[in-house]
Amino acid sequence: MSHVLIVGASMGGLRTAEALRRTGFQGDITLLGEETEPPYNRPPLSKEFLQNPETKIHFNLNHETLQSSLLLGVKAITSNLRDSTVTCDNNETYSFDYLVAATGLRSRSLQFPNNPQGQRFSLRTMNDAEKLRAAIAPGKVVVILGAGFIGCEMAASLTKLGCKVHVIAPEAIPLALVLGDEFARVIQKNHENHGVIFHMGMSVTNLLGDSTVTGVELSDGSTLDTDIFIEAVGSLTNVEWLRDNDLDLSNGLLVDTGLHALTSKGALANVFAVGDIACFPYVERDLPARRIEHWNIPIEMAKRVAKDISYQESVDVADFDPQSAFRPLASFWSDQFDMHILSYGELHLANSSRLLEGDFDNEFIVGYYRDEELVGVAGLGMRGALNQYRTEISI
Amino acid sequence: MIKITVDMDKCQHYGQCVYEAPKIFKLNEDDKLEYLATADDSELMNVQAAADICPMQAIQFTKE
Repeated sequence: MSHVLIVGASMGGLRTAEALRRTGFQGDITLLGEETEPPYNRPPLSKEFLQNPETKIHFNLNHETLQSSLLLGVKAITSNLRDSTVTCDNNETYSFDYLVAATGLRSRSLQFPNNPQGQRFSLRTMNDAEKLRAAIAPGKVVVILGAGFIGCEMAASLTKLGCKVHVIAPEAIPLALVLGDEFARVIQKNHENHGVIFHMGMSVTNLLGDSTVTGVELSDGSTLDTDIFIEAVGSLTNVEWLRDNDLDLSNGLLVDTGLHALTSKGALANVFAVGDIACFPYVERDLPARRIEHWNIPIEMAKRVAKDISYQESVDVADFDPQSAFRPLASFWSDQFDMHILSYGELHLANSSRLLEGDFDNEFIVGYYRDEELVGVAGLGMRGALNQYRTEISI
Repeated sequence: MIKITVDMDKCQHYGQCVYEAPKIFKLNEDDKLEYLATADDSELMNVQAAADICPMQAIQFTKE
């Protein structure tokens, strides 16, 4: 019986196991992951889960239909793709017929000349969120470094919980790099109306305090006292365990248009990437392969990989052409205060943007263009109208 | 028969489910979600896909 080894037991790994069973795969499945927590949904960590400990974030695990070995608290350390083995920190070596790499990301942490660790947080895991939640209380001052989605969502959540929140980031407007200036100004204004204080065009040059952070020093020489310091400065790919296999690990794991890992000698038919680490190519654009950290991508990748494996195992997979290219429509959403932002496409490809519907004082939709081609849309409200643009986006 | 419930306290009307199971879910003129509480077994894969893709994980279903 064939054995699928899925390394990474977060959403991408779980959805791959489920999709394998749904497509009719009858072999063995092992799903292993570094975290001790059963698979859970990460987006609520910066939002509902931070605000309310009662929030249920674990995915439903149906062991009866999954029929898999779930190994939690097990971290892959090395792999040998020629021998088809993965060795883990429990001193076990697992062999596979098919390997799915779904190890995701970890938060990046910066090094400062003075580098205290106390009252210093980042947010990627449930454990991170629980630690942060235990530290916060109404009236506490919080400094967040980074004004991306995680930074902005935490700013909103912590403000709602009664904290005094400062956000520091090098760009001119929060989220402008993703959404463009006009959209981003609306978001900044909304945050400021709720009491968030932005220090834009700034970086943190040093931390104050001995073993515990008591303040930050900014690039203009000023200082801010704080009770809590949060780094929301991006993430690193968990691919170290794949080293020494002739893979391209320079930006996650490089795969082909069927999500098979690429070596210098070509694609490996039985090794796949799913989720945030998968660096996959464009089909009709002469651009470098990209990773997409949006939430819907692992779900789409899981379905694709499951079909490929089942097909190779001679399961009758309806409507599947193994030569077809994986071409997902990326989508993200973000909830901050009363703002609900939704987007489709790949906005990073755009070199211009313009208002398509509505107005910036209320609800609106912005279109993002690469030359004259629509590569993405994003909106505040106007869901029904926004969804209509899905089919017009060309990636 | 499939029984479907959506936790409307969680639902933010993002409408992702509409694309996975258009016979079951729709956004009305006010951009609010409307859905059928029961569906034929033939819709199982679509309802499953809709539940998986829901950003708020607000969709529950049981097969009876």
